[in-house]
Amino acid sequence: MKDKLLHTPEGVRDIYGKECRAKLYVESQLLAKMRLYGFESIETPTFEYFDIFSEERGSVSAKDMYKFFDREGNTLVLRPDITPSIARCIAKYYRDCTGPVRLSYHGQTFINSNEYQGKPKEFTQIGAELVNDASVEADAEMIALTVECMLAAGIPEFQIEIGEVGFFKAIVREAGLGEDDVDEMRALINDKNSFGLEDLMRRYDIDEKLSKIIVNLPTLFGPPEKLKDFKALTDNADAIASIERLEKIYSLLKLYGYERYISFDLGMLSKYRYYTGIIFNAYTYGTGDAIISGGRYDNLIGQFGEAAPAIGMAVIVDRMMAAMMRQDIVHDADERIAEFSADEDSYADELKKAIEARKNGTPARVNIRH
Amino acid sequence: MRYITIALAKGRLAKQTMGILSQIGITCEEMEDKESRKLIFTNEEMGYRFFLAKANDVPTYVEYGAADIGIVGKDTIVEEGRKLYEVLDLDLGKCRMCVAGPESAREALDAGRMIRVATKYPAIAKEYFNNVRHQTVEIIKLNGSIELAPIVGLSEVIVDIVETGSTLRENGLVVLEEIMPLSARMVVNRVSMKMEQERISKLIGDMREVIEKRG
Repeated sequence: MKDKLLHTPEGVRDIYGKECRAKLYVESQLLAKMRLYGFESIETPTFEYFDIFSEERGSVSAKDMYKFFDREGNTLVLRPDITPSIARCIAKYYRDCTGPVRLSYHGQTFINSNEYQGKPKEFTQIGAELVNDASVEADAEMIALTVECMLAAGIPEFQIEIGEVGFFKAIVREAGLGEDDVDEMRALINDKNSFGLEDLMRRYDIDEKLSKIIVNLPTLFGPPEKLKDFKALTDNADAIASIERLEKIYSLLKLYGYERYISFDLGMLSKYRYYTGIIFNAYTYGTGDAIISGGRYDNLIGQFGEAAPAIGMAVIVDRMMAAMMRQDIVHDADERIAEFSADEDSYADELKKAIEARKNGTPARVNIRH
Repeated sequence: MRYITIALAKGRLAKQTMGILSQIGITCEEMEDKESRKLIFTNEEMGYRFFLAKANDVPTYVEYGAADIGIVGKDTIVEEGRKLYEVLDLDLGKCRMCVAGPESAREALDAGRMIRVATKYPAIAKEYFNNVRHQTVEIIKLNGSIELAPIVGLSEVIVDIVETGSTLRENGLVVLEEIMPLSARMVVNRVSMKMEQERISKLIGDMREVIEKRG
């Protein structure tokens, strides 16, 4: 019976010792990067009203959120991600602000998926949001920040893949397909399932050229040189504008010197419905998922008040740590601690030494000898 | 060069897949040695590693990135529901996922009555009855010889793979409804697809050519 008290619930865990030190170190590096880009910290509550994270705003479906009730019977949720909370804050506190706002956050998020045993349900996220700036320069800045976060963590080999949902949206609009038709299509494209798409497209009577682009979307990814080929596929002005935006971002990233980490994928359609423009993911070896994700969400803040364009990115810190562990990237977080041991009589002397050491910045412990 | 690791579902499918791979010049002699007790086989000069796994586990290996690529039936992919790229239809092991049972069960099925469904594929069965048929049913998970269930009265119908239908016929069962067509697929880990884009894209392209030529 007593042993049961030692367990944590499925999906959450303790982080301690060396691992905890390493995590705090990496977090401090990431936050320092965001400060260097001029982002200001913000804290939002761990739980909020359910409506903040509902379907059209949310990143996870309602069934995957931890829900509970307050005394008045309102439905509350443990936040599954932080961007909607920031959007709410922008609409509330930065209403009169017309210039760019840069905010960064650091907190726990919760996903109540019961699909697979042992998958974590609590994640630390560190993220940044750049609001009131619709420019392509803002897009490039967030991607540069993403690169710097990967480098700051000490991960040498990684890829940032950039997509643009505008391309897909322009094509389906031209094809005259509605939101309902698109959902299944989106899932198949996301799974890079071309033959499933082919089957699906047979159900629709749309222009052959458009249909071919949709069926080929899962293959429209690769290095920057390919963007030219993608552009040649269509004469849809909006779709071409999307690709030209990606080209512009690439040329801006050259100014930072980060172009070698970049590739493109027009078939990348985030499950986050709130994205309206570019979306991007950072990948490395040792984990099956993106470590950093982000994108442009020009319609989200408007759902809480005055509309404002915005772009954001978030690091899933626990996933980053897991990848680093599997790649044997170790930070020398083993700091030296001076140990002083004293009995009752010598305590005053030993304490003095410890105080001196701490003054010089050396961690020190004083322990009583029994 | 980093190894590209391929997980193959044990059995006939693994052999057929190696056949396709050998046509594009990827061979693995180690694997043909039947005496060998090795679990993992390598082709050093081309940088490939292969291992055999239980079909249900292949999507898991690939999702977690322990294998970059997996070869497995569509039935397993749908049942496991893992996050993967499903990139190629190998056009092998073609069959259908069906609702089957004795002819007498058709009436209860059509009337949307509360029936018992025995299956090795509870996720597929649940999805089909809930979201396609909108019928409340009791799903009973079994691990083999599913055809037995309606015969001994464990369930009214079964959800299972049907290839030729001869096992069903011999046991007095018929296909009542078809849920989906099935075949072997190639799945790819999402991160591997980005990190090893060039090699994996080439592999997919080469395999597609062989499959299309075969018709």
